Amino acid sequence: MKPFVFTLRQEPAQRVDLSALSPDRIAGRAAAEIEKIEIGTTKAAIKVGDVFGVSVGDPGVVRFEGGSSRFDLVGAKLLPDHSVHVDGDVGAQLGRLAKGGRITVTGSAGAYAASGNAGALIEIGGNVGDFLAAPLAGELGGMSGGRVIVRGNAGARAGDRLRRGVIVIEGDAGEDLGSRLIAGSIVVLGAAKGRIGYLNRRGTIVLANARDLGPTYIDCGAHILTFAGLFARSLRTDSPRAAAVLSRKLRRYGGDTAVYGKGEILTPA
Amino acid sequence: MSKATLDGKPITLEDACREAARILGDATFPVVAGLGADAAGARSAILLAEQLRGAYDHLASKEILADLDVLRSFSMFTTTPNEARVRADALLFVGPGLSQLWPAMLERLAPGQPPRHGAQAGQQRRIFWIGPEANEAANIPATIIPAARDELPEMLAMLRARVGGRPVAGDAARQPAIDELAGVLKNAHFGVVVWSASSGIDPLAIEMLQAMVADLNVTTRCTGVPIGARSGAAGVTQTSGWMTGFPPRTGFGRGYPEHDPWRFEAKRLVDSGEADAALWISAYSGEAPPWSKGDVPLITLAPAGKEPGRGLYIEVGQPGVTHDCVEFAQEIGSFALRKATTPSSAPSVAQIIDAIATKLQGEVSC
Repeated sequence: MKPFVFTLRQEPAQRVDLSALSPDRIAGRAAAEIEKIEIGTTKAAIKVGDVFGVSVGDPGVVRFEGGSSRFDLVGAKLLPDHSVHVDGDVGAQLGRLAKGGRITVTGSAGAYAASGNAGALIEIGGNVGDFLAAPLAGELGGMSGGRVIVRGNAGARAGDRLRRGVIVIEGDAGEDLGSRLIAGSIVVLGAAKGRIGYLNRRGTIVLANARDLGPTYIDCGAHILTFAGLFARSLRTDSPRAAAVLSRKLRRYGGDTAVYGKGEILTPA
Repeated sequence: MSKATLDGKPITLEDACREAARILGDATFPVVAGLGADAAGARSAILLAEQLRGAYDHLASKEILADLDVLRSFSMFTTTPNEARVRADALLFVGPGLSQLWPAMLERLAPGQPPRHGAQAGQQRRIFWIGPEANEAANIPATIIPAARDELPEMLAMLRARVGGRPVAGDAARQPAIDELAGVLKNAHFGVVVWSASSGIDPLAIEMLQAMVADLNVTTRCTGVPIGARSGAAGVTQTSGWMTGFPPRTGFGRGYPEHDPWRFEAKRLVDSGEADAALWISAYSGEAPPWSKGDVPLITLAPAGKEPGRGLYIEVGQPGVTHDCVEFAQEIGSFALRKATTPSSAPSVAQIIDAIATKLQGEVSC
């Protein structure tokens, strides 16, 4: 069956909340009905039809032809076996609280991408803003499952309070990568700025480029880690370069000793 | 008598309020920014933002949210300065410039005097200061642990590790002083840490500090005294809390309050073009807006002598200086009435905003 397609007519003058276009909200409804869904975030009314042309298809496979950095909450609460594809950029909170499924964005994503993700595979072709996979203000835990692949660079605080799941950043990471990690894994292939793994409890950060890690990471020596080999195999399809880094002998730094020291940072030995 | 100007040309206060109502009423998503005001001014400004279905942000939100993020996503032990004064037998100051951010700090905390209450009463108070400015700690009997501003986060990480008896790597020269401080805090009956987000320490470093305080509370007592941010920040945050349930960086675009520190940051809203008019309030200091976009329709409420070169300007008085005000008082950790020190007829922020809001009635559909 052909996908459900939203074709960009014109970029909206305000941020729009696209969580309203979840499969359960669009399934079984006619194009004219969907075009009337309100997606504005200010007192000026804006409807789906003002921004998109709608072509009805399988609600399990949604495509956006054309994106905008004002498209918030794309793929929010996505369910397993559903997919969302965006040809272009998206705004904040991509894949927020997604339960599963697959989200691909060819352009860049804004702040809080993959926030609260619990199982979706999210792939971002360009760069991503600050707080990748992080909790929103006042929430206690970050991403709790799934996998995020960023082909470009990530902003500050990527992976903040990550609880479970995998984040691969093929470009550079901004300030405070892996802050407050609870668990889970982050792989960075480019450079990482500023503090790394500050307040890390028991998460794993893999850096392709070794660098100074501050006084609360203790050198535990170079090892051939069996688990790293298995992890590398699981990453081979999504990021062959990340898999290559993990297949090598790795130097392990235990920390953040300010917390318990049960987390780790791995760099090529 | 208040002064008002439109692009530098004098107009009457009546016309200025009507013009302000027109600018804000015509906007789709205006932002009430700056918010440097007393409790009454903040209350009027937030009500106006709600009436306009716009957003509001405070000029020191970054510092407000640095403390608040730790409070709401981790936990925070705090006490009043007076409690610290009478009970603390160990006092730790963190970061530079604290005595400038709160000029009465040393007078209020009286670090040189012994504590008066508890088993520690009458004992010598131990005082440490990590990374003070030069000479800042000269008049108190403090052990100084030198640190540059950007070294504070790792110093706090080392300290927390040593309080927990865990190893640290790197610079062996710094460790004896950190170990001594960790020992003092662990053996104290009532430790108190003093810090300010305005001194340049970020939310993660504050979380590290507060996590150490939480660790210490397993075996003894330890708490904190935060020094609040400028331009009435603490009072505006409390006012915002009781009015909407959220701190600043809250929007009413959909008719109900939504809080998002990223989305409703005034600078981002103006520079991205999402906000199409701005009301800038800075009654304490007349600080200029942070955004770079020069053509947003702008209304400025600031004290005399702080008139911007552009847009509509209405002169307001300074809270606690030209008129009596209620604001959050650092020294007692609560709201207090401040009598005007040099009373004048300049109107308060609340009076001007209420006048603008009256002109709006009937123009905005709520």
